[in-house]
Amino acid sequence: MQEPKDMEAVESLLASSAAAHGHLCPGQVVGVRMAMLGCRLIGLDDPASREQIKKLIVYVEMDRCAADAVAHVTGVKLGRRSLKFMDCGIMAASFLNLETGRAFRVVSTEESRDLAHLYAPEIPEKYPRQIEAYRRMPDNVLFRVQEVRIEIREADLPGRTRTKVACARCGQVVRDRREIMVHGVPLCAHCAGRSYFRDAREVCLVNLEASSLSRSRRENRSSQVLTSGGSDCVH
Amino acid sequence: MLKIIPLEESIGCTLAHDITEIRPGELKGPAFRKGHVVCHEDLCHLERLGKHHLYVGDLAEDEIHENEAAALLAQALSGEGVGWSNEPKEGRINLVAVHDGLLQVDVRTLTAFNMVDEVMCATLHNHTLVRKGDRVAATRAIPLVMKRSAIERAAEIARLNGPVLTVAPLRRARIGVIITGNEVFNGLIEDRFAPILKEKVESLGSEVGALDFAPDNADQIAATIRSQLERSCDLLLLTGGMSVDPDDVTRHGIWKAGANELHYGSAVLPGAMFLVAYIGDVPLLGVPGCALHHKTTVLDLVLPRVLAGVRVNKAQLAFLGHGGLCRDCPQCHYPHCPFGKGL
Repeated sequence: MQEPKDMEAVESLLASSAAAHGHLCPGQVVGVRMAMLGCRLIGLDDPASREQIKKLIVYVEMDRCAADAVAHVTGVKLGRRSLKFMDCGIMAASFLNLETGRAFRVVSTEESRDLAHLYAPEIPEKYPRQIEAYRRMPDNVLFRVQEVRIEIREADLPGRTRTKVACARCGQVVRDRREIMVHGVPLCAHCAGRSYFRDAREVCLVNLEASSLSRSRRENRSSQVLTSGGSDCVH
Repeated sequence: MLKIIPLEESIGCTLAHDITEIRPGELKGPAFRKGHVVCHEDLCHLERLGKHHLYVGDLAEDEIHENEAAALLAQALSGEGVGWSNEPKEGRINLVAVHDGLLQVDVRTLTAFNMVDEVMCATLHNHTLVRKGDRVAATRAIPLVMKRSAIERAAEIARLNGPVLTVAPLRRARIGVIITGNEVFNGLIEDRFAPILKEKVESLGSEVGALDFAPDNADQIAATIRSQLERSCDLLLLTGGMSVDPDDVTRHGIWKAGANELHYGSAVLPGAMFLVAYIGDVPLLGVPGCALHHKTTVLDLVLPRVLAGVRVNKAQLAFLGHGGLCRDCPQCHYPHCPFGKGL
């Protein structure tokens, strides 16, 4: 069962996490507790502190509420390269201590959803019940834990940019070994056919702003016409 | 790894598990035990049992056999007052009460345990009164052979969240009984409550240490309560004045005697007007009139729990609601009925 001291920590982190995320939801509770457990397992008691923040890498496997909570509690950030998004669609995160090399993967159990009614039977609505039940569930019911080995590439580590290579097709500079070798030449992800968009068309920023400005002026004028037309009718 | 081999090639091989024989109405038990070396004479018997193939062989390093698994599970599930012996039969181990008492089941952890695919544990209902030697639960692994890690996870869930199964002995209380009501106090009618309560108390191993009568007067009831506490009664039962009439002042008397906690009303029929209060650590139970007419009431549900050391609160009285409706059978079979068998 949760120690009272732990519960205090959960509650205070939950409040700040919910404020940062925008709402309190079951995913926030799962994320806060997942992060607390993960950090404890790799021996970090205050991961967001100056001394510990550089020791930690977190791999989140979902882009759901819980991911924000994990990032909030641990202080990891995408821009610091301490937060890695692995797009697996799984309510799980792995916590790697760079100093010791130890890593644990914490997976939210599917059965915890079914057990919510037993841990908070007095609450009839689904989400409030889950929120309360996930507070009360012991770690080993809420999560499964695996010790895992994570071999992090030099190019994925926080710190300075390791490499810069120009795409052989478009000239775009690609950092940190994200270039893709095709027939022996480096390409950026887009030129290598791994883009997330299509039909890219270069536009001139000046023209674009001018055209959007004139469009908004036109819209303003038409609304004024309507207003004055309306008052004419009254008088 | 286990291998499956045809029966006719199995002579000299070692069985990987017990093989059960069922003769309807006659016997059900292991015909062959794990580890038995199959010999020629066994073939006919095995064929009769419908076996055309057998599991033989050894386990991989990360695997565990059902018998070893059952022992790990039994160990993890058993708390104070629950015992087991490492003699799995057909993969199953029985857990028994090592003394008389109240079985307590952590239903949440039990369910979380049973959510692990490879294991099961079935128990008697939470809060069942059991005798020494009674089987209170049984556990087993579901597959014959499985990954050891699955069993370890189930055992961890069972072990780390407080015991799943305990049998709490009932303390031998010195019980004070206070019969309130002007009619009885003034001798207009004869009390019928005292003998009923005495029998219930004694059947649970306690004794009636004091029996007093009080009129429907809060001050006199309070004085009687205090007097029984001074006479070292450590559990009080009060009858009468438990309803909603203006003359029903028993609970005011309990407040006046210094109760620091009082819950009036329970989700049980018969027994809606039940009352639980505490003066310090001494429990006071207000028994409604239904206990005169019904063999089994809320008192039979709550008194054993109180004697087992449970501090009863509002939530526990509320949880009694599910399963708290007596069927009023012509002949009462309690405790072998659903009454009081909710959470």
